[in-house]
Amino acid sequence: MGKKLELAIAALNGLVGDHLARSGNGLATEMVLVHRGEPLELDRAGLADAIGTEASRLVVLVHGLMGTESVWELPDGSDYGSSLAGELGYAPLYLRYNSGLSIADNGAELARLLEAVVELAPRPIAELVLLGHSMGGLVIRAACHDASVEQRRWLPLVERAIYVGTPHLGAPLERAGRVFSKLVASVPDPVTRLVAQVADLRSDGIRDLGDADLRHEDRARRAPVLGLRDPSHPVPLLDGMRHLLVAGSVSADPRVAALFGDALVPLESATFRQRPGGAAHDDAHCEVSLLPGIPHLALAHDPRVYEAIRRFFEEPT
Amino acid sequence: MNRTKRLRGLKQLLQDAVEHGSLAVERVQLERAKLPFALLERVPTIAAPARGVHLIHDAAVSTTHGMIRLVNRVVGDTLDAVIDEVERADAPPSGEGSEGS
Repeated sequence: MGKKLELAIAALNGLVGDHLARSGNGLATEMVLVHRGEPLELDRAGLADAIGTEASRLVVLVHGLMGTESVWELPDGSDYGSSLAGELGYAPLYLRYNSGLSIADNGAELARLLEAVVELAPRPIAELVLLGHSMGGLVIRAACHDASVEQRRWLPLVERAIYVGTPHLGAPLERAGRVFSKLVASVPDPVTRLVAQVADLRSDGIRDLGDADLRHEDRARRAPVLGLRDPSHPVPLLDGMRHLLVAGSVSADPRVAALFGDALVPLESATFRQRPGGAAHDDAHCEVSLLPGIPHLALAHDPRVYEAIRRFFEEPT
Repeated sequence: MNRTKRLRGLKQLLQDAVEHGSLAVERVQLERAKLPFALLERVPTIAAPARGVHLIHDAAVSTTHGMIRLVNRVVGDTLDAVIDEVERADAPPSGEGSEGS
């Protein structure tokens, strides 16, 4: 299937993927691992074909909203996964999923899928690295949270988690959309109500991005009005692994960077700078990499981001 | 993913969009006409004909949108039949299910 078609379907899934899944529509993307552009058959033979029979260290790459695994491709055809494979021997696995579903649902599904990978791998897995771009980082965190509750076998294998342009404290653009929708709906006119209904068609996945809701119960804390500052977050980064938070910005000018972040995610959110009241995590396990001049989407395929990731692997866990 | 499964999904999505879009626009058109007709119906000399025109207007709007939705369903059923044919043509001779690209 053509890359353009896959991208169009991914965008559609990001926009209304929850509706597609609920209505059993054939355009709804199912969560799969992708190998050479094709969905991977998740059995021993399929996994051996994708990662080889000798691989014991895996890196799983999780794309963001409305994306596919092609978001990782650098101009020279490589990607962070293939580079880590070539330099450090990590076998890369690329996830494709319906980004319109809630982050909690995708996280739980990813947790189940990783459990199957660990069980079906040709050799016992010694280390699992999780790498997410944008929403993908939140899906990883939701999966880790689910795995800690369900006591999944793969969680202790995760020594490193990497979040690239991930809105850990939420995305203001979605919060602004939420307020716009409420304002328009409050005008007693049939046309504005129709506009509000259309705006409300956006998927659960997009809504969850507003406050980075990792669990279904987190939605109850959604602020009724637009918060100008990022909210605090109830779910901490998990102990027991090291976290790399990569944040880009539209400009090298620190004032512009502080105002606009990477165009979609503010620096405060990408670097998980909690306000008092949020769940505390151990900063000693967190490393932050600020990369000025790299906007949001480009963070998924920029050599400078790979350099930051590469340095992260040089430090002991 | 199966090619015809996606085609069927696209067809269903377009059909849903027309169905829900038509329902929403019909609701807006009926609501929008309420106020001017209500004002006209308060004028004693033209109240009776205004009520009649209001009824005719609402019936015309609902009939038009009903026709749009009917045609939408018929077109959807026709496309389903076409996709069934494509699926049959794509099926391997052994009779196993077809695999899309």
